[in-house]
Amino acid sequence: MWAVNTATSVFLLVLLVLRKNYRKYPVFTFYIFVNLALSISLFTIYRRWGFHSIASWFFAWGMTAVVMCARALAVAELCRHILARYKGIWAFARRILLGSAGLVLLYSGVAARHQWRLALPSAERGLELAIAAVIVLLFVFTRYYEVRPNGTARSLAIGFCLYSCFRALNDTILERYLDDFGTLWSLLGMLAFFASLFLWCWALRKSQTEAATEEYLLPAGAYQILTPQINLRLRSLNEQLSKIWKQEVTRQ
Amino acid sequence: MSLTLILFSGFIVILLFVLGWAAWQPRERSRLHADPCSLEQRGQPHTNYLPQIHQALAPEDYEFLLKRAPGKVQRRVRRERRSVVLAYLAALREDFQSLLRMARVIAVLSPQVIAVQEFERLRLTAQFAWRYELIRWKLLMGVAPMTQLDGLSDLVSGLSVRMEAALKELGERAAVAAELASSIDRRRLDVV
Repeated sequence: MWAVNTATSVFLLVLLVLRKNYRKYPVFTFYIFVNLALSISLFTIYRRWGFHSIASWFFAWGMTAVVMCARALAVAELCRHILARYKGIWAFARRILLGSAGLVLLYSGVAARHQWRLALPSAERGLELAIAAVIVLLFVFTRYYEVRPNGTARSLAIGFCLYSCFRALNDTILERYLDDFGTLWSLLGMLAFFASLFLWCWALRKSQTEAATEEYLLPAGAYQILTPQINLRLRSLNEQLSKIWKQEVTRQ
Repeated sequence: MSLTLILFSGFIVILLFVLGWAAWQPRERSRLHADPCSLEQRGQPHTNYLPQIHQALAPEDYEFLLKRAPGKVQRRVRRERRSVVLAYLAALREDFQSLLRMARVIAVLSPQVIAVQEFERLRLTAQFAWRYELIRWKLLMGVAPMTQLDGLSDLVSGLSVRMEAALKELGERAAVAAELASSIDRRRLDVV
């Protein structure tokens, strides 16, 4: 499975370069590259120092932290690709997405079983959940504001989200059945990553180099004029509906 | 099963469920063309048909039927009236959603949005949906007074009128701004 994942990662990198998609998704390309580097260096280190050595353990988790940071940045890049054209919404969404990521990290910290030997998988799970939550919220945003992301960005985001959800679930099961689940945990993690790689290869099979069209923005004051009026009328409408309901209940 | 496993698995299941809902795009769902022209593409609001609905629901007709027509006919008329009102209520919701859509277009096309206003609209939308469903079920069960719908219609109608006036004002301001910008450009050209 390791060899298959490495080969698929190489294929994806080649695809990114050949189709010139690295120009549009530089951080994503960096993430795939770092992940590939981790994979190859881990293989070398395990062969040299053994699977159970302290040095291997530190190196593996250190590199995992770097890869996770690269993944978080790649997700941020995707969010920017999808929403940055709409300046107002993007500024608003950025705060919500960052806030929700912080809340999910907090939730993960509170809900976890605090054992020192599980500290790293727990931290990883928290970050994975935060990444997944950010992507889900991003899709909720696009649906609410009826902004349709292009197919590639959508597939990349879905790949990230599914992978993060699976990793978080895998880490949770590992925490419960630590002694019996180690090997299976590793295999399932690689399978999930392969599925995401496959989805990303499919999404990036064509060139995505066309420039994003500029959106025509309304004058700065338009929002301030219209939106409070709409909200005021909506509030009145809700009050009216409430009255209808209350009158009927009283009558009955 | 441990509490941690339940807490995390539950959260992940919720995330996946929301992802499925949010990422799913039905074919017929049209894309929001983030274009100011789309603000003007609203058709005739359904609230304009209020007089016809009033006539269809006139109590005089019903009283007349009570005196002259047999029970079977009365029941049929009652059923048909209810279906008319339900259709009208659905149309009102369409008007409401159309206005909400306009509000979203404005938000999407604005260089700056205010979080409080956006959250307020979200809350009001959820409230409207909940109350609308309650009233619809009351109508379906035959316990809601049909005349109470007048207030609802007036509110939606009023909202449409005010929005149209505000958009007209906005269009005029944009035209003035464009004229001003082009006159400045012309002056620059003259200087060069």
